[in-house]
Amino acid sequence: MRRVGLVSVLVAAVIAGACGSAGGGGTTTNTYNGKTIKLGAVLSITGAGGVYGPQSRDGMNLAVDQINKAGGVNGATIALTVKDDASDKAQSATVAQTMIQSDQDLALLGPTLSNSAVAVHPLAESLKTPILAVSTTGINIVPNCNFPNTTPCKYVFRDSLGEETAIPDNIKSYAADAHPATGVLLVAQDDKFSSDGGKIVQDTVGTYNINLLKTIKFNKAEADLSPYVTQAVQLHPDVIFITSLGGIPAKIMTEARKQGWQGQFLGGNGFNTATVSKNAGAAGLGARSASAWYLGNSFPSNAEFVTAFKTAYGHDPDQFAAQGFAAIKIIADAAKRANLTFSDLPGDRDKLRSAMETVNIQTPLGPFQFTSNHDVKQTVWIIKMDGSGGFTLVHEIKAS
Amino acid sequence: MGQQILNAIFIGSIYALFAVGYTLVFGVLDILNLAHSAVFMLGAAVTYTLVVNHGQSFWVACAVGIVVAALMGLVIEYVCLRPLRRRQAPPIAALISTIGLALIIVAAIEQGRPGTLFAWLWLDGANPVTMPPGSFPNPTWHVAGLTLEASKLAIIPISIALMLLLGYVMRFTQVGRGLRAVAENPRAARLMGIDVDRMISLTLIISSALGGLAGILFGVALGDISPYIGRDSVEVRGLAVIVLGGMGSIPGAVLGGYLLGFIEVLAVVLLGSNVRAGVAFAALFLMLVLRPQGLFGAQLREKI
Repeated sequence: MRRVGLVSVLVAAVIAGACGSAGGGGTTTNTYNGKTIKLGAVLSITGAGGVYGPQSRDGMNLAVDQINKAGGVNGATIALTVKDDASDKAQSATVAQTMIQSDQDLALLGPTLSNSAVAVHPLAESLKTPILAVSTTGINIVPNCNFPNTTPCKYVFRDSLGEETAIPDNIKSYAADAHPATGVLLVAQDDKFSSDGGKIVQDTVGTYNINLLKTIKFNKAEADLSPYVTQAVQLHPDVIFITSLGGIPAKIMTEARKQGWQGQFLGGNGFNTATVSKNAGAAGLGARSASAWYLGNSFPSNAEFVTAFKTAYGHDPDQFAAQGFAAIKIIADAAKRANLTFSDLPGDRDKLRSAMETVNIQTPLGPFQFTSNHDVKQTVWIIKMDGSGGFTLVHEIKAS
Repeated sequence: MGQQILNAIFIGSIYALFAVGYTLVFGVLDILNLAHSAVFMLGAAVTYTLVVNHGQSFWVACAVGIVVAALMGLVIEYVCLRPLRRRQAPPIAALISTIGLALIIVAAIEQGRPGTLFAWLWLDGANPVTMPPGSFPNPTWHVAGLTLEASKLAIIPISIALMLLLGYVMRFTQVGRGLRAVAENPRAARLMGIDVDRMISLTLIISSALGGLAGILFGVALGDISPYIGRDSVEVRGLAVIVLGGMGSIPGAVLGGYLLGFIEVLAVVLLGSNVRAGVAFAALFLMLVLRPQGLFGAQLREKI
């Protein structure tokens, strides 16, 4: 039928792709002096992850600037290229492949979203290129990037705090403070980050005697969330758990408060950026999440980072900026110790990978080392939205 | 359940208002204007920008938003449709050219960041934003367990009044008769002395003004304005609505809009939250199989 044909044309036509390439390569001396260490970051500058990607990018660029101005890595300059994956899994993989094979980058950073990581990380692993995740917090990011195959991935690392640690810590701390009895979970079913977070909530609540009355699923692109919020509010839960990202948490909070619900919002990493807190405004006041970083944390290298970031960009950094900044420092430290040849790219990538396993430096996230699973082990900060775009500290949970 | 019925009426009104513009162009020109969803978004984006980035009052911003949307209708006609019509290109060419324009409009808004060429138009890039509280009057009442919010309640009378007005204009005025004549047979209309190009421009202006207004109401009431609201929220649903109601029929689009709103919300309430889109489009599919001419089918339907 012609009308059906028109509908299919519409659906088929709203598709776009992008790619780019550049040449590059090393020379044959084995000294770092005058060489370039090429890094590629696959970030979501636009699309759903556009709330987070630009922060990571700014943190990374700041670290690159600082290192290069201080003489580089043993005299070699870091050249970081940031490319936008538009929060799209397929585009993320295309960009990563271009960086690894055409641009011949030594190592990659990103991608911003866990949803894209399931495409990008296995690719980097198979092409034997180190990749450092800076904001992905879902399940099965490290070490089993090829899940359900559980062989540990050798080339995949992450410096972002996994939701498997953050969400239970957050629920535990709120349960101890307020003893909630009931909860409702709102989860975007078509997003890995959100559904992973939802699964962690479901697995955790029982431990703290919270009765999960209902799990309400929706699709991440739906603009009208009112029917879902109405369902949640009418169950009168003590807590609404939100594991989504981007603009969704703020919309849920605003709608629930309008409908007169007075309970507590608990969330995941999706809460932890100023944009979300700002969009939620007064409706978000008190919403709690566990964060990998806190603006006022007392680690020595944090104050320095915060000042430098504010000077460079005119506003406070957030968790994503801190993780992006730390990522460049981590790779720079590893590169310094890796005895790179600059002539044998596969060999250099392998040397960098080994050196990354033994990183031990100070970062704004605190003293940094990877676990044997290439994951981060660090202090967790329980923070709450202050109702005007910022966060205040509730608890500090030291790494066990 | 009461609150959910209200939710259905709110979203149904938006769908109806959006789809009326869609179906108006289809009725007159027999082509789908797929830039309509971008005009929807543009109305909301311009209004937001004027209030937040240029300090204008909400009402001025709304008026300008609707005017900009209406002018975009003229752009659609002059850039995407008229040149192709002159060369008697097939309808698919116009369909593709309107998709192209939609992508360009979305991309222009997406580029809007501080310091860029489009910074005057939009400052938030791809990020979803919300109208700051207090920028428009929005009292909320709690009555008999229902939450009644002014910004959402207002949608219903505005939509119904505009749709009635459009129906009146179409049926009882000289302009309406001209538009219907063009819809029926452009060549005959031209022979009768009707300026067909002018009528088509007028159609695009009315359609886009309605689309822009729908976008503003949507963005304000749902607290969600981003470059993607047209594409994600109403583009395909708008098509579903006009197929449900009968292609080209204004009463059909109105009824179809409310029907889709109710089907979606009922799906959430009765069948669980993860089947909303599936149930809505299953209804569309059933309609195509059982009654391909839509609710206001061939016998009942008079073009526009």
